[in-house]
Amino acid sequence: MDERFTLVGPRPAEAAAAPSKQLPPEIPWISWIVLAVLLLGCLCPFLPKDPAYMDLAHTSLPPCGEFWFGTDAMGRDIFSMIWYGGRVSLFVGFAAAAVSTVVGVVFGTVSGLAPHWLDGLLMRLTEILLSIPSLLLILLLQGALGKPDVFSISLVIGATSWASVAKVVRTEVLQLRGSGYVAAAQCMGGGFFHVLQRHLAPNFLPSILFMVVMNLRGAILAESTLSFLGLGLPLEVISWGSMLSLAEKGLLSGAWWMILIPGGFLAAALMCVTSIGSSLRRRMNRGQSNL
Amino acid sequence: MHANLCIYYLKKLLFFLLSVFILSLVVFYAARLAPGDPLVSYYGERSEKLTPAERAQAEERLGLHDPLHTQYFRWLSNALRGDFGMSYKYKMNVLDVIGMRLGNTLLLGGTGFLLIFTLSPALGILCARFEDRPLDRLLCKVGSLSSCIPEFWLSLVLILIFSVWLHVLPSSGAYAAGKAHDWSSRITHLLLPLAVVVLSHLWYYAYMIRNKLMEEIRANYVLLAKVKGLGKRQVLLRHCLRNMMPSYLSMMAIAVPHILGGTYVVETVFSYPGLGALSYESARYQDYHLLMALCLLSGAAVMLCSMLAQAVNERIDPRVQSGGGTEVEHLG
Repeated sequence: MDERFTLVGPRPAEAAAAPSKQLPPEIPWISWIVLAVLLLGCLCPFLPKDPAYMDLAHTSLPPCGEFWFGTDAMGRDIFSMIWYGGRVSLFVGFAAAAVSTVVGVVFGTVSGLAPHWLDGLLMRLTEILLSIPSLLLILLLQGALGKPDVFSISLVIGATSWASVAKVVRTEVLQLRGSGYVAAAQCMGGGFFHVLQRHLAPNFLPSILFMVVMNLRGAILAESTLSFLGLGLPLEVISWGSMLSLAEKGLLSGAWWMILIPGGFLAAALMCVTSIGSSLRRRMNRGQSNL
Repeated sequence: MHANLCIYYLKKLLFFLLSVFILSLVVFYAARLAPGDPLVSYYGERSEKLTPAERAQAEERLGLHDPLHTQYFRWLSNALRGDFGMSYKYKMNVLDVIGMRLGNTLLLGGTGFLLIFTLSPALGILCARFEDRPLDRLLCKVGSLSSCIPEFWLSLVLILIFSVWLHVLPSSGAYAAGKAHDWSSRITHLLLPLAVVVLSHLWYYAYMIRNKLMEEIRANYVLLAKVKGLGKRQVLLRHCLRNMMPSYLSMMAIAVPHILGGTYVVETVFSYPGLGALSYESARYQDYHLLMALCLLSGAAVMLCSMLAQAVNERIDPRVQSGGGTEVEHLG
């Protein structure tokens, strides 16, 4: 009896945690503000200079009055490139996170609702997928899709990072599938997507929110790493990764502004996303330490 | 009981072989369907000067004209006999090419792995011992910041500081020219890549260990141990640490693909002649046989490690058996 009908909603252990000790959730204001500035700056249509214009008279200049962040080896203004390239980097991040969330949720739900043998098979499949280093997997998939552009690279990154979401969703669905209202909805003829949307998703959304934010971070990181290695977006498409890829050539001449500035923006964006993500997870309250 | 155990291990072995087979199938088809010209890696620059007839002849000789499934079965039957083919670029047996580079990667990845898994429990214990005190908060802040820095950028910054500005450490390679057996040269070349590998993974595992320990110190046996008169340190080290051993082993298992993947980027940036740089090169220039062997090698190593961890866990903690398993968080 108890095995088939698991209790949903607040579990006894959570409810029992003393509410008096609970601190109000800490909101990472700094991260939100920095992220907002980055997003607004990237969306701002007015740039001081054309980011693609190669001013061959002013190549590899350090930061100065005219070029705030200096220029790169082709004479392009780094300040304009940062904001312009940020659009691409952040867009790929959001698009890939969306793809991985959708695939992960659908896969996890199917696996959780499926008969035992199919569930086992699907889980084995994700294990095999997780066993290949993700960079190699992305490389192979990207190869199969042809020349990378912004959309195909989002698709590939999304398609290789859904396994962790799928695992969590499956665990949650396994707990929910026995509950009365899911059975009732299925008996009344509710289809798969109806049950998912109305009954399952509202229950597991809070627990995958953290993973979704972490996937956003992973996607931004993956795009920049790939573009840096010359496997992602081509050099003509300006993104933080491809800017750093060019910078590698200026490395030994000591052109620090080409490396530190775009990388600093990239790292700042990643830090903001991470701290927002972990603040989402911090709501799980711990009891008193026994130590 | 004994027969059951045999069947159990047979099942595991079967599952392992099946996984490797599926992996080989996936990699083979994905690599062949990718656009690109394997002749470029075979002939190098000269491939552009080949006449169409010569080109067709070369492709015929390398067996690239046959339908894909014929190619796959030829590869498979050769591989089962221990012949993994020849690398197009190096014109050598694939296993020999890998053998030349394997030592370098093992040195980098292995030292990194050891350092990560000795330092991360230390950090985790320190944080758990001083939970919510300034030390713990400081470590958490610094750690989470450090784990956000992309590996390739950290490599660039370290090269900029230590090679370009300070001129103290070399920026690429595994040893100075002609000094392959000089250990001091090896070590100076290893320092920067190693620092990147360790710094970019350390906090991830330390934080997981910290969180697991936090769960442990809230268990009731801690109260019992304290009633018995044990000090904080003894409880933490003797009881809590021991109870989280299964999770620690699972972490080690999932660390293998992570650190392996990390060495890809690091080796490429530092032009360190290891398997990571080799995989990157072979995937990029369609060196099919080399790519297959490298993918299978890394895939098999990862799967073996996770199976090993599971087997050891079952020994330590009988509750793990029959599904369940210690859940370890996957953090992207």
